Amino acid sequence: MAALLQLAGVNVRFAGLQALSNVDLSARGGEIKAVIGPNGAGKTTLFNAISGYVPIAGGSIALNGSAIHGLAPHEIAARGVRRTFQNGGLFPELTGLENVLAGLHARIDASFAGILFGSRAARVAERDAIARARRQLEGLGVSHLADAQVKTMSGGQQRTIEIARAVAAEPPLLLLDEPAVGLAPPVRAQLVELIRRLAGETGIAVLLIEHAIDLVMAAADVIAVFNGGAKIAEGPPAEIRTDPAVLEAYLGHV
Amino acid sequence: MNSQAPPHTRAHWAGGTRAFYAAPLLALAIPLFSNPYTQFIVNLMLVYVLVTVGFNLVLGNLGQLAFANTALFGIGAYATAMLMAHAGWPFWAAIVPAGMAGAMAGFLASVTALRGIRNYYLAIVTLAFGELLRWFYIHGEAATGGTDGLAVPRSDFFGIPLDSETARFYVFLLVVTVIVKAVSNLLRSKIGRAIVAIRDNELATASLAIPTGRYIVLAFTLSGFVVGVAGSLFAVLIGQVIPESFGLLELILHFAMVLVGGLGSLFGGVLGAVALTALPEFFRPFPGFYEMFFGGLLILFLLIQPRGLSALFAKRWPALRDRYYRDS
Repeated sequence: MAALLQLAGVNVRFAGLQALSNVDLSARGGEIKAVIGPNGAGKTTLFNAISGYVPIAGGSIALNGSAIHGLAPHEIAARGVRRTFQNGGLFPELTGLENVLAGLHARIDASFAGILFGSRAARVAERDAIARARRQLEGLGVSHLADAQVKTMSGGQQRTIEIARAVAAEPPLLLLDEPAVGLAPPVRAQLVELIRRLAGETGIAVLLIEHAIDLVMAAADVIAVFNGGAKIAEGPPAEIRTDPAVLEAYLGHV
Repeated sequence: MNSQAPPHTRAHWAGGTRAFYAAPLLALAIPLFSNPYTQFIVNLMLVYVLVTVGFNLVLGNLGQLAFANTALFGIGAYATAMLMAHAGWPFWAAIVPAGMAGAMAGFLASVTALRGIRNYYLAIVTLAFGELLRWFYIHGEAATGGTDGLAVPRSDFFGIPLDSETARFYVFLLVVTVIVKAVSNLLRSKIGRAIVAIRDNELATASLAIPTGRYIVLAFTLSGFVVGVAGSLFAVLIGQVIPESFGLLELILHFAMVLVGGLGSLFGGVLGAVALTALPEFFRPFPGFYEMFFGGLLILFLLIQPRGLSALFAKRWPALRDRYYRDS
């Protein structure tokens, strides 16, 4: 099967710093690929490059065979790349439902005039989106959070809402940036199950940045290891566990 | 009752659209109980409802410190006065152009915000814009009448002469109801959600395929339109448009109305406008006290109730909370 996402020779430079060098990476539908590496390895920069938040200095990023590098973040998102953020990307004043509805923004087919005058078509489009957002929350077991403002939720609840919002529009590619940070172990186990279910049931491709090795080993089909802005190894968890370069660069320090 | 429901859940706006129209329907009876003076105050409240609702779009919902509001208000008022006095247009025909002139100015202000001029810088740029316009009102005598201003000719609304406070009231009530309802529709839709999302987290908003730049421009332009129409009503209500009406003091009043009512709350905007228009009238017998009271009130709200009256009301009656979706 051809890769959904294909990075070839991607370089990212920040004022004198080579943040990513010559990165080749792919993502396939139904596959969970973990991206691991020590702090400063370039993991989040990789996500920022894919989703258009930092420009690439060389190489190419293609989604379904067509280049997406150089597009604005909202354009890349519109093509089906959705992501979460390491330090919380939710809208704290909005409720769980409203956050997920924001994820469905582009799917709500209502014209400006229709919304302004409250046309029937606009109201139907809105109602459909609400039903869909509620189903999404229910599917992830958080329908009781629909009417709660995000800022009143626990860390685990917020992570779940952020994932619900990211997958609401059924994107083919999901980038999860350290979704388990600050979560209690039982909640982390639920999160692993949730991510596996998403990939298994919907065939979505998942790239997962995670520091918690136990979670990575449990969730990922493939692990890509980064160090100093370069990919140093890639393979199934069992293989990565024993790779000498990986042990040296990363696992050895844990 | 769901036992899992966390605190601070938002209840639903019971009755939806029907509840919205209750206030203007009840207001229809006001002229039965008013004299020309109290009716004038009520009409002024309606003007300030639009001022506050428009200002809140940018200040509260989009979360941008843009202080061009008196400039927009003045543009709407002068556009109306000039069209009526110089070009002989009837009032009804001048309302939309006044709104458009305000929208144009709002659009220009958004360009500065888009170019990354935000926070204090945006505040200073927009303040300077307002003062620049005042300079133009004072020195552009041929068009604006200079410091004496422009007298607004007697007007009618599709044949109804607007020569009494009561007649103006019904026209204003209609215009304000239509515009506030339209703003409410916008806020409780994908557009309102996008605008508030940008305030809460602009980067994350873009990650949801929402073109943030376009919505920033839209919020500023809409705000300009609403405040421009407010200026149009103001011109006809006062009958004379002068530069002093659109200075810094007026801006502080607009700001206070939004703050006291509730930043980002449509209902709060209406409350703030009504409360702070009525307040000075109670102090009329005690000259000098109003400024003190007003300053004290602002400080009190900032310290104790920074989310304004609307948050107080919403705490008591959860149905009054602002919602950013519409299921009716």
